[in-house]
Amino acid sequence: MNVRRMSRGKTIVIGVVVALAVGVAAVAGSASAGRTADTTLTAWTYDNQDPGLKPVLTQLSKNFEKSHPGVKINVLFKDFNAILATVGRALQSDSGPDLTQGNQGFQTDGALVKAKLILPLDKYAAKYNWVKLLGPGTTQQYRWSADGKQFGVGSTYGVAMTGQHVALFYNKAKLKELGINPATALSSLGGFQKALATARAKLPADEPVLMLGNKNGYEAAWLIWSVIGAISNPQALRDWVYQKDGATINRAPALTGFSMLQSWQKKGYFPSDVNALANADAAANFAKGSGVFFADGVWNAGTIKAGLKSAAGVAPMPPARKGGAPSAIGSTSGSWHISAKSKNPDLAAEWLNYVVTSPAAVKLMQSQQQIPAVVTAPAPKGDPYLAALVTSWKQLSKANGLTLFEDWASPTMLQTVSSQMQQLIAGKTTPKAAATALQKDWDKFHKTLR
Amino acid sequence: MTSHDSTTSDAGAQPLGRTGIRRLGRRRARERAPGEPGSLVAWLFVLPGIAIFAVFTMAPLLYAMGLSFYDWDGLTPKRFIGLANYREAFADPTIRATFLHVVELFAFYTFLPIAFGLLLTALLTRSPIRGLTFYRTVLFLPATIAGVVVAQAWIWIYDKDGPLNAGLRAVGLGSFAQAWLGSFTWALPAVGLVGTWVSYGLCMVLFIAGAQRISPSLYEAARVDGAGAFREFFAVTLPGLRGEIAVALMLTTINALRSFDIVWNTTQGGPGGTTTVPSVLMYLNAFTYNRVGYASTIAVMLAVSILCIIGVIQFFSERGDRR
Repeated sequence: MNVRRMSRGKTIVIGVVVALAVGVAAVAGSASAGRTADTTLTAWTYDNQDPGLKPVLTQLSKNFEKSHPGVKINVLFKDFNAILATVGRALQSDSGPDLTQGNQGFQTDGALVKAKLILPLDKYAAKYNWVKLLGPGTTQQYRWSADGKQFGVGSTYGVAMTGQHVALFYNKAKLKELGINPATALSSLGGFQKALATARAKLPADEPVLMLGNKNGYEAAWLIWSVIGAISNPQALRDWVYQKDGATINRAPALTGFSMLQSWQKKGYFPSDVNALANADAAANFAKGSGVFFADGVWNAGTIKAGLKSAAGVAPMPPARKGGAPSAIGSTSGSWHISAKSKNPDLAAEWLNYVVTSPAAVKLMQSQQQIPAVVTAPAPKGDPYLAALVTSWKQLSKANGLTLFEDWASPTMLQTVSSQMQQLIAGKTTPKAAATALQKDWDKFHKTLR
Repeated sequence: MTSHDSTTSDAGAQPLGRTGIRRLGRRRARERAPGEPGSLVAWLFVLPGIAIFAVFTMAPLLYAMGLSFYDWDGLTPKRFIGLANYREAFADPTIRATFLHVVELFAFYTFLPIAFGLLLTALLTRSPIRGLTFYRTVLFLPATIAGVVVAQAWIWIYDKDGPLNAGLRAVGLGSFAQAWLGSFTWALPAVGLVGTWVSYGLCMVLFIAGAQRISPSLYEAARVDGAGAFREFFAVTLPGLRGEIAVALMLTTINALRSFDIVWNTTQGGPGGTTTVPSVLMYLNAFTYNRVGYASTIAVMLAVSILCIIGVIQFFSERGDRR
């Protein structure tokens, strides 16, 4: 009968499918069942820049292996997006890393805490004195309630190596040429704006005054969040990031900041291709001598120094008034976590403490023009540029002036902010409409938390 | 006789008419030669293909369809929410905008490549050209380059100081020069043109192959009737390529709807969301927003719209065939 033949055919199909699946699983199983006599710690990181943290992590792991016979540290350097897109599933599997970087905020760290994939590190934080070494304001960005719904409170789930804030880079030679006194230009927001106007009037029209590459859209937020932090209270911006009840961005400081961004665009301070220029290219252009000022992440400090050499200057973003408290958008580098499935959490914590706080780590980081997150680290000698970077990080940490990155506030905030910043610059929206759109995103996510 | 035997023999014999061959077919059916439709051996031959298709295409597809009814962050347990994702998607202006962007991309991913492919076919097949294979290969090259590489090349072409703007300045159109991928007006057409550049090669190769199949006697007849190059193209080549055009329409439409690599690597959907397409939104929801269920919903909507459009194209091309 036809029907019987059909069902027999089906049976065979299913049989083969099952056989195939079992075969695949068997192969996969035998591949992962490798064994070593020694203890191996696997660590995933996106701090893969060289020069940067890659040589630091490599050297420190070698040191650690030497001082811990029988221990092997397997550091895997990956792309930032590759880690964020896969880290959750990797930690769920039985062959995931012992240590990994996540990313502060609800998108990654919040999700990992909620799924109970990473360990609370309170006991190690106490043992190794992390809160004191990094500062209580700084370590707040690793704290979560056990359900992953409250950010900035609860247990400490991570720790990180370097400070990564946005600072104001400037071209000393250009300032001199234009007759602008750096001390006045950098001491207050008013002085900074005057300097921008002076430079615009004197420079050829096709040369930008304030370098900015806003291709992704969040680069303009780096610039303007520092301004908003200066004219308001950084704590209000942090509360917004931490999703505190009642927090809102839709207030006067943000509206002033967004208007300022639009007026700077209208006055022609930015490059003409600002919305198409990538941050890395903006940094490269600035290093080649295009533009007078550049509000950029300290992670590009090396590039700028290599290009401008002795003309490279760096300062904290100017405060609202002369002598005011400094504020800047920023945080530490990506948070490190220990997997809930790690068989050696104590050893993992020991390695982590070694790469974050040890004198050897501090020295290696500074040799790569990186700012150690540890505020007790001594400023480097014989390198005024790096010393300025280190000092500005310490000042920000001590004054609690870091606004944290605005996109941590919700899983969708990065795209929302990026879109609104590009629209603001292109004149496609108003400061009020942009602030409303950001708050709408925030409110939508806030509802899912309560 | 079983019903199976009669079906097989009838199906095998009908087009051949009532001749000796029909008897041959009947005998072969009884012996169940390998490869004969319906025989067990035939099933064994197609099994590996079906198994791979089932495991790697059907199973994920059904799984994704199932996921679209759940609220799931990809890590913690799923929560069944019925049609809530679909309700949200249909009310979401962002999703509507991405589908409208795709409609604009059709012009660049589908119509321009087919028009350009036809033009090249007309040029390359009209008379024997020395080095035809060389030209064909060179013209087909863009279709063989990885999307990421293509995107990087075009980022440079569209750059503020790139060759496109340099060309505009050289011919006195410097006032039009701009950062194309950063423009709210021009970013989408600019990305679309990259799609044109990638897709025309496939259309051209399809059409040239089709044109070589058209009987030369048709061209001779047209020429005897006094047709020029244009009449010849519209009266002989174009109707002869109807099947190929339908295939090209389907392939390029699918490419437009699921375009991801070029958009992601040139603009990431920016500036201000003006080049966001459904696949970009799907990726963001699955891997950035921790909303795997909602991403699956977008994927299902995308798959359904592809199937609908393909259905329409197939309906019209088959109706054309019957005429």
